[in-house]
Amino acid sequence: MKYIELHARSAFSFLEGASLPEALAGECAKHEMGAMALLDRDGMYGAPRFYLAAKKLSVRAHIGAEVTAADGWRYPLLVASREGYQNVCRLITRMKLRAPKNEGHVDEQEFIGNSAGLICLTGGDEGPLAHALAHGGIASGIACVQRLAELFGRGNVYIELQRHFSREEEARNQAALEIARSARLPLLATNGVCHALPQEREVLDVFTSLRHHRTLATAGRLLTRNAERHVKSPAEMARLFRDIPEAIANTGILSSRLEFTLKDLGYQFPKYPAPDGATEMQFLRARTRDGLLQRYGGADEKARRQMERELALIEKLNLAGYFLIVWDIVRFCREKNILAQGRGSAANSAVCYALGITAVDPVKMDLLFERFLSEERGEWPDIDLDLPSGDQRERVIQYVYERYGKLGAAMTANVITYRGRSAAREIGKVMSFESGTLERLTKLVGSWGYKDASETPDRQFREAGFDLRHPQVRKFFDLWRTIQDLPRHLGQHSGGMVVCQGQLDSVVPLEPATMPGRVVVQWDKDDCADMGIVKVDLLGLGMMSVLEDSIKIIRDDYGEAVDLAHLPADDPSVYSALQKADTVGMFQIESRAQMSCLPRLRPKCFYDIVVQVAIIRPGPIVGKMVNPYLKRRQGREPPDCLHPSLEAVLARTLGVPLFQEQLLRMAMIAAGFTGGEAEELRRAMGFKRSELRMKSIEEKLRAGMTRNGIAPATQDAIVQSIVSFALYGFPESHAASFALIAYASAYLKCHYLAAFTAAILNNQPMGFYSPAVLIKDAQRHGLRVKPIDVTCSEWLCTLERDGERDGENFAVRLGLRYVKGLSSAVGAEIARQRSARAFASIDDLKLRVAAIQKSEFTALAEVGALNFIGGHTGPAAVHRRDALWQVERAARHAGPLLESPSAPSSLFSPAAASPLSPMTADERLVADYRGTGLTVGPHPMAYRRAQIKGRGIRAASELGGLRDGARVRIAGAVIARQRPGTAKGFVFLSLEDETGIANAILTPQVFRENRLVVVEQQFLVIEGLLQNQEGAISVKAESVWPLSVARVDAQSHDFH
Amino acid sequence: MAFAAIHVPDFMLQAVVRAEPDLHGRALVLIEGTPPLEIVVAASATATRAGIAPGMAKSQAEQFRGIEIRHRSSAQAHAQERSAHAALLDLGWSFSPRLEDVAPDTIVLDLAGLQVLYNSEGTIASELARRARGLGLSASIAIAAEIEPAIIAARSFSGIALIPAGQESERLGPLPVEALSPSAELLGTLERWGVRSCAALAALPVLDLSERLGQEGVRLQAMARGEIRRSLILAEPAGSFEEEMELDDAVAELEPLAFILGRLLDQLCARLNARSLAVQTIRLRFDLERSPEKNIRTLEEGSRQKPGASIYENNVTLPVPMRDSKMLLRLLRLKLQADPPSAAIKKVVIAADPAAPRSTQGGLFLAGFPDPEKWELMLARLGNLVGEANVGSPELMDTHLQGEFRMDRFEIVLKEAELARNGKSAAAQEPATALRVFRPPFAARVELREECPVRIAFCGARAEVIAASGPWRTSGNWWGDDVWQHDEWDIEIRCDSVSAGRSASGAREQNPAANSEASLRDGMYRIYFDGLRRSWFVRGVYD
Repeated sequence: MKYIELHARSAFSFLEGASLPEALAGECAKHEMGAMALLDRDGMYGAPRFYLAAKKLSVRAHIGAEVTAADGWRYPLLVASREGYQNVCRLITRMKLRAPKNEGHVDEQEFIGNSAGLICLTGGDEGPLAHALAHGGIASGIACVQRLAELFGRGNVYIELQRHFSREEEARNQAALEIARSARLPLLATNGVCHALPQEREVLDVFTSLRHHRTLATAGRLLTRNAERHVKSPAEMARLFRDIPEAIANTGILSSRLEFTLKDLGYQFPKYPAPDGATEMQFLRARTRDGLLQRYGGADEKARRQMERELALIEKLNLAGYFLIVWDIVRFCREKNILAQGRGSAANSAVCYALGITAVDPVKMDLLFERFLSEERGEWPDIDLDLPSGDQRERVIQYVYERYGKLGAAMTANVITYRGRSAAREIGKVMSFESGTLERLTKLVGSWGYKDASETPDRQFREAGFDLRHPQVRKFFDLWRTIQDLPRHLGQHSGGMVVCQGQLDSVVPLEPATMPGRVVVQWDKDDCADMGIVKVDLLGLGMMSVLEDSIKIIRDDYGEAVDLAHLPADDPSVYSALQKADTVGMFQIESRAQMSCLPRLRPKCFYDIVVQVAIIRPGPIVGKMVNPYLKRRQGREPPDCLHPSLEAVLARTLGVPLFQEQLLRMAMIAAGFTGGEAEELRRAMGFKRSELRMKSIEEKLRAGMTRNGIAPATQDAIVQSIVSFALYGFPESHAASFALIAYASAYLKCHYLAAFTAAILNNQPMGFYSPAVLIKDAQRHGLRVKPIDVTCSEWLCTLERDGERDGENFAVRLGLRYVKGLSSAVGAEIARQRSARAFASIDDLKLRVAAIQKSEFTALAEVGALNFIGGHTGPAAVHRRDALWQVERAARHAGPLLESPSAPSSLFSPAAASPLSPMTADERLVADYRGTGLTVGPHPMAYRRAQIKGRGIRAASELGGLRDGARVRIAGAVIARQRPGTAKGFVFLSLEDETGIANAILTPQVFRENRLVVVEQQFLVIEGLLQNQEGAISVKAESVWPLSVARVDAQSHDFH
Repeated sequence: MAFAAIHVPDFMLQAVVRAEPDLHGRALVLIEGTPPLEIVVAASATATRAGIAPGMAKSQAEQFRGIEIRHRSSAQAHAQERSAHAALLDLGWSFSPRLEDVAPDTIVLDLAGLQVLYNSEGTIASELARRARGLGLSASIAIAAEIEPAIIAARSFSGIALIPAGQESERLGPLPVEALSPSAELLGTLERWGVRSCAALAALPVLDLSERLGQEGVRLQAMARGEIRRSLILAEPAGSFEEEMELDDAVAELEPLAFILGRLLDQLCARLNARSLAVQTIRLRFDLERSPEKNIRTLEEGSRQKPGASIYENNVTLPVPMRDSKMLLRLLRLKLQADPPSAAIKKVVIAADPAAPRSTQGGLFLAGFPDPEKWELMLARLGNLVGEANVGSPELMDTHLQGEFRMDRFEIVLKEAELARNGKSAAAQEPATALRVFRPPFAARVELREECPVRIAFCGARAEVIAASGPWRTSGNWWGDDVWQHDEWDIEIRCDSVSAGRSASGAREQNPAANSEASLRDGMYRIYFDGLRRSWFVRGVYD
């Protein structure tokens, strides 16, 4: 007998379902069920994924939701038509937006006039009928279904029967049968599915415990009674309901009534109101013409032709409004002096360049427009805008809200899933592990990039002190593995915004974000894209803030105006720095891996930076493309374009495919893919979850290449090139956008070091290096960095005139924000009070900044920020311990009389010098790192240099002068530890000393033998053979041991 | 005036080695915590040399060869530490009645007058160290004119340290300030000041210090200078309230044992009486003779003792503190009857946890309540008759597993008060169909047709199932050891005429506690199939 499951919850019911929508659809297909309905709690969260997964499996995906009523029970609603879908989306939006998170409900009255296209079931345990029966017996049950029939129409109410082998439920079923007979309403069998497979009941129990803040042991009858809420086969359901066959038969009938699918969303992009009665297209053409004149001076014929071609396509696809809306956002940014730069595939478009959306000239760079927009694909173009992170980005977001209305624009969601540590912590909690165990288990789930074959869970657990044979530990591990990637809650995507013509809430339910003034759609950005909703990514980029802040500082302090759009294109100092890998702090080219590649690639022009940005990516690394490219660039290997037909595509990268666009073209040329098929290939590349999909595309590729007469060996090479990009494809246009920012950051660092350093310090945390490393690097480049001082430091780092230097005329004064534990309010108050009148003494500061806590006061004293208070300078300055001595007294509560600002100062005993000894250099170093995480004094290694010189330890700066293969010893503070997934267990360390940064490579064996030392010690000595590959210097470690240096609390960039 | 401080370094380890001398010199590790995570809290010198450090997990320590691991939380380890501490106290009292019990690992003696017996303080210290060794403890001894310097020195210097009067500051000066046990906050301040030694602390101007660190700082400085003076806080020799008796001939009968217990209880209650205290918990411990032929009787199922155990322990916690030795004896007799030792007794130890006696005046408007002592006695008598686990108030457990309950301590006042608070009474409860539960359930044989029971046989009787409703499926506790999976049926049966007569005796044989009436009649029953044991059972009968 045909049975359709019409009441299933997925894990997108957040802690009330245990399986992903894909798993439910998969089970459904396995049982040859033609359709299934997903009814998640108060939302459509899982609907797109369910729809797409079901479509692939040829299963019809019915959509609906369980909508919470005032008393906590839920209306199970199935969507029959688009009107029904819009009704339920609007109902959910209303209830969500008017109540705190997870507390909303609909009122019965709201269904009046809004129930068209909806089918209401009477539900299971939590349905309206169960609620009525429990509170008033049969009479109340009859009244309930009659009311439902009034609200939804007689033909749209089904009496739902579920059978999970429960006495109470069966008693309810008997009552329901009686009610159905008396009310003459149809019966419907469902299984109230909460998980795909029986064994997933355990996950459901864990979720139930989490939801109720209980442990499994104390959750009692809150847990499920049994494991029967899984997807059952039609045969099994028919057997269960053999006494009521019509309940089964009705599932098929009802399913055929549910015409709506998510294909039929009815989404429309908003229209741009062009002025003076012009059409959108006319207005766009005018704006593009203006841009063309501005960008190219109007003389570039190639650019004009390209633009015409693009505009023709834009017109044909009716996308003018979309371009104008993005242009409008960029215009707003320009007006408000907010840096904005388009990236992603938009950089392939000359129209975007002309409109000022992107800064990359696609005509000059010969970028592939089809990657951005093609007639064949029939999808919205994707434009991402990089904005300065923080307040500036928020201004842009609020502008979009204002412009399109609260229900016309929303952020896309970010589905937070159970992963690694959070999953371990929550499972440990519900399993009643005590805190020590919990902490260890949580730590155990580390963020190691690479796991070799011997790193089995068993071994990892054993090393952490657990035995996987212990049943509880084993159960913990199994559960932890099972709940990976299940949704935990809905967050807000960092920048994705969707806009809609009219009411977005009739397309997808909206809900309030945690951040005030923000509204979020219930789908994440991939779901939005899959459903054809236009998304504009307004992404916050730390480096954009640094650039913007640098420009401001340069304008205010240097009195110069820097326009990023008109930087000198071939600045020699920039390329010189890049060729020497002197790139600390520069966008995208500062990591250890980038630094080791730069001296070999030796960028000489802007396109080299584009390549540099793209080449150190998992795709080219896994595809073993880095070395061939570098060899060919150095002329040590001839370019090889795999096949003569691919020369046009691959020549610019010397035959090595580095960019996504190249792979698309390769597929089109070599295998005869159409644009659409190439697009399918691109999607498969970015589609993390389907190796199967990749496999089928590979077969298609090979078949195409065979048809084109390409030899099997060449086919292998081409397929290898393409498959390597499966997960990590990087488009050329994207690399070009990043390269522009990288160039700008390099330019500012080379020419305005003080401004750039102050700006980057003010935007931490960001980038690859800690502030300590950034400061040491700046100091090595001749910048003077002055310590924190309450007599002149602001909250942020600022510039001060520094007449002592010849080169850079400015010094950076560290801001109070670097004092650990000092609140921003107190920091700002210190600066405010000081600007009114200098502090006369430590007591004076305490009196005037009343909110300062003792710990904050102590922290200031400990880092030397109070040394110059009262106008003491030079030898007259108090030392840090004097300040600590005074602070200890000043911070004590002296009573209201003595604490009054008007109290005569003679009441205080004079602040005599303390009996404490000044800090030694080592102690100051320790205090600096403890109090600020950095030092402006000598590098810790400088203090040890004299001692370690005798042990044959070389400084980082000496390594360049040594021959390849020389045996060396290096030592320094570990500033980065990395074990990338692409490096087969090799570990890369960066050691910093007072002269620079030295890199070391550890083989898996050396790492295994020295694991604890490598992972835990802050200062290391490494001995091994020097490798100097065309200026990329590293030490291949043979032995590692700790170096005893002052116990500084230095930060390193580990295993990210 | 002089004081000697005696400190036992690595006290936890020494306590274990003292009890198990074979472990001396071995790689010994003490762990604490509950599985699955147990952590090393102490490691002997040999173990430390092998690479074990406190904080390691047990399973990590186990990877080292030849490591002896002891659990510090075990009753045995606690007893060993108590015993080592008692030995330390004995050592002190053997020298002077004026003794301060500073910590489990440290005591201080007043040496006033001892110079007459011993030539010098050095001799006293050597003698103390010698006697400590005799007790299986290796102690550090420090003698000083004041108490605190002596304690600090004993904890900081190994071996013997003699500090002449007036030289305290000089001798303590090089010690780190941590030796003064300052609070973490104060220690942090001193560390920031660069004040790391007692000498540096002692050198700070006292007024300035007082302004900054308050009285705690001043006190700490006085300690650093060796200037702090205080009186000895005398330890009471009988603080543990323990009485014991070694028996020349092992006792195997209850009567003579009761006589001995009575004597010990009299002494115990007299001591408690002298200090205005009463007994809250009695801890009974017997050393048993191993000889099997002198066993009093074989162990019953459910007893807490292990067969062949050489120690018998039983604790009696009283509802209210009391010190009526006769009442206590009656309680102990009942306890021993209910849970007798497995062998003849060689040594009797009775310890009492003291508490303030009960005030006799209850609330003015409290309802009449049985005398708590008599009430406890009655519960003990009942427990003796039916087993302790079967006395109390049954409380249903929050689980889908049918009929699971636990026994709560019977507390009539609380229950009534609770009902009153909730505004409910027993009469207000809605009547429900009663199910008489068979505990334990009867095993049954069930014949199925189309997955539905059609015939059943249990207790020697056979019956036809004339109506069945089910299965009602429950499962749970999948995360623990006691996982269950039941398919229940409610069935109506009609007994076969030939088997009806036999079933009464059969039921009683299988389950003496069963209600014979219930297991015989035609009627409605609840049966279940245990999915893990693959067997059928009869859970109960509907009234």
